[in-house]
Amino acid sequence: MVNKLNKAFYNTVLSQTFSPCGNYIVVGDIYGVLSVFHLSKIVQPQTSLSPEELAPKNRVTVKEDFQINSLITAQNHIIVGGVGEIYAYLWKNLRNTKSAHPVWTIEIPDQKDAFDKPDVNCLLFVEESGHLYAGCGNNKIYVFNIETRRILKTLVKHTDYVHCITNNGDDLLSGGEDGVVNIWDIRSFKVTHKIEPFKDDKVSRANLGKWIGAVSANDDYVLCGGGPRLSMWHYRFLTNSTVFPIDDNGIHVAEIFNDKIFAGGRSKYFYQMSFVGDIISEIPTSAVTTYSAIHQEEPFLVLSIAGSSPKIDICSNFMYRNQQLSLY
Amino acid sequence: MVKETSSTSLKKKRKTPSADNEGDLDIYKKVVDFEEKESASRQGAVDANIYFEMCQDIKATLAEMYESKCKKPTDTSTNKELLTDICLKLCVIRKLNRVDKIKHVFGKETLSTEKQKCDSIKLSYQNLVYELHHLVAETNKCLSFKSKDEDIELVSFEEFMKEAPESLTKKFINYDKSNTEENHNLRLARLEWELTQRKNLAELCKSLEEDKKKLGKDLVERKEKLNTLKPLLMNIINATKPLQEHLDVPFDQLRAEHKLAFLLPDPLYIFYVNIISYKNVYELNLNVSIKGDQDDATRWKEAQETTKESQNDDESEQEADIPEVEEVVEVKKRRHRKSVQQVDPMEEKRTKLLEAHPLFVEITAELERGPSITAAFRYYTKLKIITVTSKVNLPSNMTANTARDILSSENILGELCEGDVGVESPNPATQFQLKKSRHQFISLPGAPNRLCLQMGAGSLRYRVGSDKAGGVNIETVVKILFTRLAARNDLANQLQQFEQSIIPKLPSTIDLPTNPVSALTKWSSITYQKFCQSLVTQPLVEEEIVSPSDLFYSCTLTRGNANLQALIAIKNNYPEALPIFSLSLDYNGVQHSTNSDEIRDMERAVNVTWEHGQKGSSWLLSAQISHLCSCLDVYLESVDPKAFCQSAMFLRNICARNRKRPFKFRKVGTGIFTQY
Repeated sequence: MVNKLNKAFYNTVLSQTFSPCGNYIVVGDIYGVLSVFHLSKIVQPQTSLSPEELAPKNRVTVKEDFQINSLITAQNHIIVGGVGEIYAYLWKNLRNTKSAHPVWTIEIPDQKDAFDKPDVNCLLFVEESGHLYAGCGNNKIYVFNIETRRILKTLVKHTDYVHCITNNGDDLLSGGEDGVVNIWDIRSFKVTHKIEPFKDDKVSRANLGKWIGAVSANDDYVLCGGGPRLSMWHYRFLTNSTVFPIDDNGIHVAEIFNDKIFAGGRSKYFYQMSFVGDIISEIPTSAVTTYSAIHQEEPFLVLSIAGSSPKIDICSNFMYRNQQLSLY
Repeated sequence: MVKETSSTSLKKKRKTPSADNEGDLDIYKKVVDFEEKESASRQGAVDANIYFEMCQDIKATLAEMYESKCKKPTDTSTNKELLTDICLKLCVIRKLNRVDKIKHVFGKETLSTEKQKCDSIKLSYQNLVYELHHLVAETNKCLSFKSKDEDIELVSFEEFMKEAPESLTKKFINYDKSNTEENHNLRLARLEWELTQRKNLAELCKSLEEDKKKLGKDLVERKEKLNTLKPLLMNIINATKPLQEHLDVPFDQLRAEHKLAFLLPDPLYIFYVNIISYKNVYELNLNVSIKGDQDDATRWKEAQETTKESQNDDESEQEADIPEVEEVVEVKKRRHRKSVQQVDPMEEKRTKLLEAHPLFVEITAELERGPSITAAFRYYTKLKIITVTSKVNLPSNMTANTARDILSSENILGELCEGDVGVESPNPATQFQLKKSRHQFISLPGAPNRLCLQMGAGSLRYRVGSDKAGGVNIETVVKILFTRLAARNDLANQLQQFEQSIIPKLPSTIDLPTNPVSALTKWSSITYQKFCQSLVTQPLVEEEIVSPSDLFYSCTLTRGNANLQALIAIKNNYPEALPIFSLSLDYNGVQHSTNSDEIRDMERAVNVTWEHGQKGSSWLLSAQISHLCSCLDVYLESVDPKAFCQSAMFLRNICARNRKRPFKFRKVGTGIFTQY
């Protein structure tokens, strides 16, 4: 009992996703457990909330003690990026049944031995083409057809494992431990451009390493950060435009959202900034390091910030913390 | 005709005085008779006509007189004539009146006689009615009559038929229920049978009572005989004493202890008996003895008995209620007199409340080649709880300060069951009792006791629930005592070596890397306050993962210029609850779990992944420290491979989005570190 509490106390959340209906949130932790919270009840409480209501409504163990690196919602499925394997759950099963089983799994090929399974660090689903992209621990990005679950293409360019992927139109951007942001054309699956922030003196932080923890893009800019500082780059010229003056020890979350920028990582705060680098809000986080921040506008406005803590911070206005979910 | 009758009647009238004159004595009666006859014979209507005629005549005569007087006032002769005529007529009227009166009287008389007749008839009727009522009442009485015999419980009809002699029963073999005569006879017969039976039983009763008396006498006699036997036996015992001493048989001692046990309060007595029997069955290395002042105990017992008796005498007196009422009064009084009174009655009450029984049970458990623990169990008579104080006798080879501390500290018996830190009484009533006397539980004066843990609770329950041995039995208590002592001893042995900066050798069954490069350089104990003051421990304190009753240590691991300080909280129920490490690494700035995920991961690796239960007590802490050393190696080597040459084997120095370091050790070949 006491020891279990210790274990829960050291839990870390690496990934989150909203349910297809938007009323629930699913989080994956390092012990291989998916926890489902009834978010709409928590964000729009009828009465004051009891601790039970802030605890998970359902828990499903995917694979014990193998961390869940990434989670996305695709159609009616929750797709889980684990270690060496991708699992897909039907959302309705996951919501209610304790012993939900994946409806399908994809094993990441090219596995050397049992101890060296590649993590599925990031997942991306493009609905129009039906492609599922998986950035993996073996430096590769796999492209799967979600219907057949066959590999369509393997993107090999990174020299170290892939931290994150994102897409913008026909471009796919990926950031890796090697410090490079590759911009791929998904029609030809070729690297068209690349950014190497660690080579920029203004941006690099040698003591933290050159890894890129997060990438985001819109039509004009690319936002990236990690070991190097969080910085904004012109899409066309690939030159540095803004370096964000935030106090962090590594960026793990960065996103361009409308005309704002969200950023988080090993820092006491989760930041919201303008393109020129003015800080709009600082949300104190319960986690030592923020690994995941997701938000939605429909059916209700909510931002959920999670990381190396068993607590998850919920903001319903993007400005300050309203609620705190607890994994135990 | 009118004239005639009137003239005759006048004549007759006149006659009567003449008859009277004749001197006949009955004349008056005759007159009366005559008048009566006359009045009876006359008709009322005729008399009335005569009366009216007379009146008319008088009126006419008066008118005539008036005329003549007017014509010839002097002519008086006619007037005189007329006047006499009027007088006569008045006489007639008078007669008529008399006749009428008599007639009336006659009528009245008949009426009254008739009335009398009527009354007598009515009376006789009433008498008859009354008689009728009386008779009805009497019949009712008769109908509702109940004989006494109906209340007598008779043997049932079937039984009667079976058991009574044939002479009685044979009439009723063809007994018909509807026949009332027979019914009555049956009843009589049954009553008779009942009477004879009862007489027999009474006789039997008498004889039995006599027997009883006889037996009683017998008993008294035998008792007297036994009494005379006692001094004889004592003499024999005294005579055997030298022999006992010579043979070294401690019969006497045992007897003395049993005698003492008799004086123990009930809960302790049960505890004592249980533990003695348990010890005898399992032949444990356990000494049980009763200590304390015997005389006091005897007095206490006597006092107890007298109060019990008085309580029995006066049943209405309820122990709980009455003192409470007194209390209230007392408090009120006290307020007024506070300045005057020297001795605080509250204080007195307090000391009385916290009074312990003069006797206590002492258990000494000894480990082989290890320390022994002495636990004294005291019973608080008013609070109705058992408390335990412990003392550990250290073996001489235990020299390290921290090791000695851990064994001799008071909390060796703390938290025997989860959440029981011994500051709350297991008896829910205690709280109120103490509140009543405005006392804090923790500050029991003169009792540095860990207040009655599970043991007390267990044996108390024995007492309260008398026959149901619910809760914890003595076996578990003793087992806990031994395992706790063993665990503490193991812990102390480890601490002893830590203090000399040696990590003890681990058993080969545990998969742990051997030969870490980082080394233990310092080991010391710290206080809870100091533990809390550290920035690193804040989350643990906030989450109440550590508590003030735990044991706290600080140790330092060193490799090159990197120093890892670990603050360790060891729970009282080690090794079931893992010791908790809180780390802070001094290398390229201070890193700890609140600013570095790597350190947090390291803490997780050390604090979480051990599930060995009780059997790991001899090496768990060492294993954790040894693992911590390897983790430090892995961390330093993976972060800065140039400064620290690789000693540990790992496949990837970093992986996944959370840039995980390989803190997990797998026993493959010489051992390899992985992330999962």
